Amino acid sequence: MDEKKITGKSNVILCIVSVVILVLLLFPLFWTLITSFKTEKEIFIIPPTWYPHELNTRSYAAQIENGDFNMFKSFFNSFVISTGAMLIAVVLAVPASYAIARYKFVGRKAMLLGFLVTQMLPVSVLLTPMFIMFRNMKIYNTWWAPVLADATIGIPFSVLILKNYFASIPKALEEAAYIDGCTRMMAFMKILVPVAKPGVIVCAIFSFLYAWGDLAYGMTFILDQEKRPITAGIFNFMGQYGTKWSYLTAFAIVAIIPVTLIFIFMQNYIISGMTNGAVKG
Amino acid sequence: MKKVKDFFRYENAGLLFILPAFLYMLVFVGYPILSNLILSFQDVSVKNLVHGQKHFVGFTNYLQIFGDEVFRKAMGNTLKFTVYCLIFQFLIGFLLALLFNKNFTFAKTVRGLTMIPWMMPMTVTALMFKFMFSTDVGIINYILKCLHLIQNNVEWLTTPRTAMIAVVAANVWIGIPFNTILLATGLTTIPQELYESASVDGANGWQQLIKITLPLLRPTIESVLVLGFIYTFKVYDLVYVMTEGGPVNSTHLLSTYSYKLSFDLFQYSKGSTVANVLFLILFIVGLLYLKITMQGEED
Repeated sequence: MDEKKITGKSNVILCIVSVVILVLLLFPLFWTLITSFKTEKEIFIIPPTWYPHELNTRSYAAQIENGDFNMFKSFFNSFVISTGAMLIAVVLAVPASYAIARYKFVGRKAMLLGFLVTQMLPVSVLLTPMFIMFRNMKIYNTWWAPVLADATIGIPFSVLILKNYFASIPKALEEAAYIDGCTRMMAFMKILVPVAKPGVIVCAIFSFLYAWGDLAYGMTFILDQEKRPITAGIFNFMGQYGTKWSYLTAFAIVAIIPVTLIFIFMQNYIISGMTNGAVKG
Repeated sequence: MKKVKDFFRYENAGLLFILPAFLYMLVFVGYPILSNLILSFQDVSVKNLVHGQKHFVGFTNYLQIFGDEVFRKAMGNTLKFTVYCLIFQFLIGFLLALLFNKNFTFAKTVRGLTMIPWMMPMTVTALMFKFMFSTDVGIINYILKCLHLIQNNVEWLTTPRTAMIAVVAANVWIGIPFNTILLATGLTTIPQELYESASVDGANGWQQLIKITLPLLRPTIESVLVLGFIYTFKVYDLVYVMTEGGPVNSTHLLSTYSYKLSFDLFQYSKGSTVANVLFLILFIVGLLYLKITMQGEED
């Protein structure tokens, strides 16, 4: 960011330009939201209406009723799957990243490289082998399958982000704890993790969001529609009722509620995650 | 026993902290990579997927894949898709980064809000763009007609030539925030004094961009492009939900074709083979990326 603050006329112009750009960029979201409150009939009117003339909340109400349009169950499934994946990722990644930041153990470089490479992995490489593995483990068609698979996206990301946080904590803090009689484990749990808390939150958010957005694992490893996550539910619905846009757009809005909430309350964490995770590696 | 204890006493104590995560990744990622490789040298269909004899067939799958017209098409599509996406998302992202680098009242707030598309589930993005690009109700056809750019509604997603444009547009929408935020972060590392002294010497904005911004931003630009390549080259959900690779395979990417072979046609070995080709390309590009980023790092 430039040091000197821009004032006066050019400030006003830049503000207007940026708002226009924002409106253009977020138009798809706005349009989806508007459409979800229109009746099926109104959606097909040409020229399109810019706000719902007849407010239709059917597409939302139907989602909590029984029947084909029920998305509440899928939403709940997604929530359970994403939370599970997030917990596994955080619990495993926090100590791992501390190890990479603080210790020069055998195989450190190779392991770090391993975490980096997994971030580049296309999902199709893992799908079939995981499918066979989960069938053999008897967890195919249960929540466990996508939970275990989704955690593999969160772990490498979290390790790479968090190692920077742990590396920035002064060593003296840890040494003081040892002098006071702390074991390694105690110092890690009681002193280091609390200091690295912002980083842990970033990891939790991203691990959750990665799992929330997943379609391939949820669709491939779960057969029963009632157990599938919301992304797979939407995809399935699109195949069956391709042009029921009023329902489809309402599903889309419901599916992004958690994303929106996380964004509103934790925007700074997200930006720090995007910049740290991707550039520094 | 004492020896074991000594081994883990100093630096190797780190192993105890990293082992759980490492083993997890070994089981759920390492092993699948290996078994996918083996799968591509076998002949596995729905009959012998979980149980039964799996025969080794050497390079047969690879030879067949490279003779497969759809595979070659998917390979070309993947490259086209990636290059188009990279060009547009980089250019737009760069312009936005330059804008948000200025210190005006709304800069921070608006920059934050432009990140939203990046966080959305790809399935939702695909749905939104499918709706906007649809023939009769699509807002894009309506706007283009209002601007007199087209006479009749374009069948975006059911015409081979235009379907690619639609999926590229959707992916660029996701990619813009990613490019913006990384380039904007890179811009903040350029010392302000350089611009000030250039102004004193009479350099205009364009000259400053060419002579100061671009050369100093080069490391960031390199990593943004290589990372963008990796993320775009393996895109799967977006295209699968929007077009399922159609019409007439015109939007099939390596990732969607691999999925189709394995889970629609149940030719698991062929699907694995395509996935391995995709992985190999990403791996090579990935090594390039590591070379760029690791240079400055202590490890």
